[in-house]
Amino acid sequence: MEAFWQSIALWWQSLCDQFTQCFIEDNRWEYITDGLLVTLEVTFFAVLIGIVLGFLLAIIRAAHEKTGKLKILNAIAHIYVTVIRGIPTTVQVMLAYFVIFVNIKDPIPVAILAFGVNSSAYVAEIMRGGILSVDAGQMEAGRSLGLNYTQTMKSIILPQVIKNVLPALGNEFIVLMKETSVSAFIGLNELTRGGDIIRGITYTDMVPLLTVALIYLVLVMIFSRGVSILERRLRASDH
Amino acid sequence: MTTNEKGEVLIHVENLQKTFGKLHVLNGITTDICRGDVLVVIGPSGSGKSTFLRCLNLLEEPTGGHILFEGTDITDPKVDINLHRRKMGMVFQQFNLFPHMTVLRNMTLAPMKLLKKTKEQAEARALELLDLVGLKDRANAYPSQLSGGQKQRVAIVRALCMEPDVMLFDEPTSALDPEMVGEVLEVMKKLAQDGMTMVVVTHEMGFAREVGTRVMFIDEGVIQEQNDPQTFFTNPQNPRLQSFLSKVL
Repeated sequence: MEAFWQSIALWWQSLCDQFTQCFIEDNRWEYITDGLLVTLEVTFFAVLIGIVLGFLLAIIRAAHEKTGKLKILNAIAHIYVTVIRGIPTTVQVMLAYFVIFVNIKDPIPVAILAFGVNSSAYVAEIMRGGILSVDAGQMEAGRSLGLNYTQTMKSIILPQVIKNVLPALGNEFIVLMKETSVSAFIGLNELTRGGDIIRGITYTDMVPLLTVALIYLVLVMIFSRGVSILERRLRASDH
Repeated sequence: MTTNEKGEVLIHVENLQKTFGKLHVLNGITTDICRGDVLVVIGPSGSGKSTFLRCLNLLEEPTGGHILFEGTDITDPKVDINLHRRKMGMVFQQFNLFPHMTVLRNMTLAPMKLLKKTKEQAEARALELLDLVGLKDRANAYPSQLSGGQKQRVAIVRALCMEPDVMLFDEPTSALDPEMVGEVLEVMKKLAQDGMTMVVVTHEMGFAREVGTRVMFIDEGVIQEQNDPQTFFTNPQNPRLQSFLSKVL
């Protein structure tokens, strides 16, 4: 029994040492906090781009499917979605940094754009499904009152779409946030890379990796909570 | 064709055609609907009666012919159909209330957006109409909290909020439980008695007989027979109509 307690104490001691080494010495915790800020920055702006672009794409595709108009725009949107969804995110991010924007040295704007564009294709499909899932009678009812297409879309269709797609959209942004970890490939100092740098300096793996993992987990939990609060508010009409 | 002495021609339909691909749904319908008319349209399913109704406010775009509403040819692509739809209320089989809005908001949305009514004006009128159909106390309910009959009554007064010149009913009681049909027909009857011009596609023969000023039988996309209800039901001429009536009466 004595030996057991002794080993626990030793383990605890070494954990504390590792912790000190990883985060306290030379203010290494800054790798984590700076990385976290970059991760949040890239995620936030990529989500914005994803929503705006994805929304436009969805409107084009849904309008085409319902009215048969916008043929060319729809074809372009279709190709865009197919290409973007057909290439792994890691490859897209590297293509963006090393091939397309080869002259831009700062990886942050490139990562924001690459993840935003990537996300827009998924958002477009989610929103398109959402628009098509609203009963055709809703559009007819709006139009029969004299509202035009845009007014009906805005006041009647889209509020229902947003309510329907919110869970899927929330999920997409959780995936996006975690996927920003691949931007270490283009030398972006985000959260995962912050942990990697500490691992490289200290030759310890467990503490930095678990710390990074825990931070992602907490971020996702906070975000999920926010989405479900929003969902509950939008469900006021369901009773 | 029977004409109605009550008023001038509100809707003139001229050789109306509608095809879906190779399927000819309407094969040349010509008729006049006058102010104060209650035109009841009956026919077997797939006869084109609903398509005829939905063409009247261009929810279905006709593939041929003309529809003159208050003197304007609304099939002309240059005409802004949205302006004319304000004057044509429509009630659907599936109610089509907006599920994310309260009853009151369902009713005030279009008048506020299109007729530039203030919130107070629109709500006052909406409550007045809700009171007429016995649903004033449900003004702040959401559609999901209403019964089928209540939903359809709300749908009727929602259309009335736009102060339309004509009301189009597309099988308004077909999706209702039998015990709720009466309350909706009662509202429609009251509306007819107040002089509203109505076009009603329905299977309710009692309503056609009692409330209609004219009954029209459509089959295979043409008007097979139309007459005043009395003659229509007691002395049908067309063999198709005779066979249809023998099945439904």
